Amino acid sequence: MRKKVGIIACSGEELLGGTLSRAAARIVVEKLRPQETIILCAPLFAAGGLERHGGQEERNFAKEHPTITIEGCEEECAKIAVDKYSGPPAATFNITEFIDAHPKLKSMSREDLGEDGMKLAEIIAEVIAKKVDELFIRK
Amino acid sequence: MSKEKVYIIPCSGIGKVFGSIGRETAYIVVNELAKGKSALECLPLIVKGKKEVIDRLKLNKVIAIDGCPLKCSYNNLIENIGKVDAQFMTTDIVKENRDLRPESSIIPVGEQTKNLSTKLAEKVAQKVDDLLKQKEESE
Repeated sequence: MRKKVGIIACSGEELLGGTLSRAAARIVVEKLRPQETIILCAPLFAAGGLERHGGQEERNFAKEHPTITIEGCEEECAKIAVDKYSGPPAATFNITEFIDAHPKLKSMSREDLGEDGMKLAEIIAEVIAKKVDELFIRK
Repeated sequence: MSKEKVYIIPCSGIGKVFGSIGRETAYIVVNELAKGKSALECLPLIVKGKKEVIDRLKLNKVIAIDGCPLKCSYNNLIENIGKVDAQFMTTDIVKENRDLRPESSIIPVGEQTKNLSTKLAEKVAQKVDDLLKQKEESE
């Protein structure tokens, strides 16, 4: 099986953290580590009874590959889902910690991150990409 | 401003642009076309089963917007809330507007994607009004 790391962003629509998680995930998968990562859809993964609808494939992937979760708030929806259905994630990143660490980079809104928000998403993505590299070395 | 709210739950998909249309549509509805009459809730939080969110949705009308045939929003709502008052597929608005081809870019979304989202949002906002009227008449 080809080596890949799964990336699951909580992607919650109601919060700015959800938007940042989504942007960071896309940057990792599209720009920074396109060969090494794959995006997993959080609701598809997490839904109960998804065996009927198709989410089992995502759960199986996370059982067989290291998976990184990106959380938009303290609820940790993605981590809880991965833990429950596929085992502990290889790493979890909390967006709020990055927001606190970079107070000057103020995102515009949950609908539109704006220039500073996108810069913050890039910073988050860089950290996640480094973790992807570590996971590859470890393997 | 209406006290009752219709909750709009887009699917959270981040792999393809059809999920983005759902999310953009939801933002246009709650921020512009049905402002004060509608609200968003995070789908991952519903899947997780957060009690206060589940209780609130059970008491209000709920609209699902899905971006693919797996219908994560619809199926998760049925499983966790036990009902969906109306459902929309973003792929339908794409089929109805062949002249508007959504760009593949997800962050940021393109102009055609925004136009399609606005068209779908008009339909969803109309449904918000219909559902609120129905609820008012039944009380």
